[in-house]
Amino acid sequence: MFFHIVLERNMQLHPRHFGRDLRDKLVTKLMKDVEGTCSGRHGFIVAITGIESVGKGLIRDGTGFVTFPVKYQCVVFRPFKGEILEAVVTMVNKMGFFAEAGPVQIFVSNHLIPDDMEFQSGDMANYTTSDGSVKIQKDSEVRLKIIGTRVDATEIFCIGTIKDDFLGVISDPGAAS
Amino acid sequence: MGSHEALSVDPFKRLVKLAARAFYDDITTKGDKQPKTGRSDNRGIAVVVLDALTRRQWVREEDLAKDLKLHSKQLRRTLRFFEEEKLVTRDHRKETAKGAKIYSAAVAATGDGQPGGREGDEKLKMHTHSYCCLDYAQLKDELESKNTVQEYICPNCSKRYTALDALRLISPHDEYFHCESCDGVLVAEADKLAAQELGDGDDNARRRRHEKLKDMLQNMEEQLKPLMDQLGRVKDLTVPEFGSLQAWELQNAAGRAANGDHGNDPSKSSQGFGFGGTPMPYVGETKVEVDFSGIDGKGEIKSENGNAPMKVLPPWMIRQGMKLTEEQRGETKQEAKMAGSLTAVESSDDKKITDEKDDVKNIQDEYVKAYYAALLKRQR
Repeated sequence: MFFHIVLERNMQLHPRHFGRDLRDKLVTKLMKDVEGTCSGRHGFIVAITGIESVGKGLIRDGTGFVTFPVKYQCVVFRPFKGEILEAVVTMVNKMGFFAEAGPVQIFVSNHLIPDDMEFQSGDMANYTTSDGSVKIQKDSEVRLKIIGTRVDATEIFCIGTIKDDFLGVISDPGAAS
Repeated sequence: MGSHEALSVDPFKRLVKLAARAFYDDITTKGDKQPKTGRSDNRGIAVVVLDALTRRQWVREEDLAKDLKLHSKQLRRTLRFFEEEKLVTRDHRKETAKGAKIYSAAVAATGDGQPGGREGDEKLKMHTHSYCCLDYAQLKDELESKNTVQEYICPNCSKRYTALDALRLISPHDEYFHCESCDGVLVAEADKLAAQELGDGDDNARRRRHEKLKDMLQNMEEQLKPLMDQLGRVKDLTVPEFGSLQAWELQNAAGRAANGDHGNDPSKSSQGFGFGGTPMPYVGETKVEVDFSGIDGKGEIKSENGNAPMKVLPPWMIRQGMKLTEEQRGETKQEAKMAGSLTAVESSDDKKITDEKDDVKNIQDEYVKAYYAALLKRQR
């Protein structure tokens, strides 16, 4: 799920950036530092949408660096148990398959793949129904439900299922080509 | 009012009992590593403790241990387990002489013998049925997720992983998961079970395993049905809440004062309740007889006024549609007493206080009359 929230961060800026465009430098650095990171608390920071406020800078002893407390608005993405996501399959193996929904990695174990789908090894490992009409392989798009998340300080990993109504392949690159 | 309150408490008690039997039947509080010899096998203790708690409100751990004839260490271990399971609330405090007095003044439902007790860490606990509901939900989740979050086990070093570790376990060389420590090929746990029991016939085994799981699930649903029913019944009722220890003490002390009772008579324990009552701190000193007419595995203390000798049907034997007296259902009556009229509670300790006995009898008779009147009214 996506959230639009306000976060705060202390930015350290080198004295060489001090000047007319100090603020721009600060924002650029903030984006570089923060976007794409993941915190267990808030989820993945997808994009910074605006700066709320930049506090008074504090010169640090010894280095000359200045610390600014910056409040910024950003879009974060945090997966939840029970959430339905659309994801792209990145790897298929005997144990199941891995998929990505944006920054989140999701693993679907073979127990959570419908029973009528069988693993086919080979050049392009895949899960296929017995009649061959549905195939899950690398780059397939699947709709899945998250049934568990593991949230570390800097990492979120999910496990999902496609063994439920309306879940499974939503577009099949193999069929199109 | 008494009987009404009691009736709303009763389903919760039954729920606790059912849940205890369903889920905590074979819990041992020993570590897994210790060998289970016949003597140290303490399965079933958990059920006993939970049952005992349904018959009490707040109680001192030492007293409970004495009542159950358990070692206090063992009891504490069990209680800690239930605390973690969110079934039991405990309160720890330093007890001064004054504190002990307050507590003993509030012994409407518990018993305390030492108003002048020494300083020490006092631990009391209560059971809150709402927690039981919560806990049940949690348990159900767990059971369900057992079927979903796949577990993997290393056959070499028997290290366990879950599907959540999948990212760390994939190997670039083949399509299996590998153990982090010994690089062995991991086996999915259900697969392992199936392999053990059915040998390996890849496709067939999988199907059979599936059937087996289905059977298990069905079994579980069947066995849990009474519990579910009870849960459904309990859902709309208000939860009996004893409040914090302090609040509970205040309330009970107030009730006692209102009854004009002299509050610190230590012999005012609750022997009169029979098994339905509350802790009996003087078990060691009073004469105890096992009441054979009341054998129901509870080792009931014989009560002299004989108001509880009827057999209590264990909760798993009670089916819907059975016609039961309140006595057969269990503690309803005693509970009614407890919740209902403090007067009855306070003075039902006819234990060897002969001059109070008549008084007590009167009150009890009165109470029984009122109770049956209420019951009749309800049945109409």
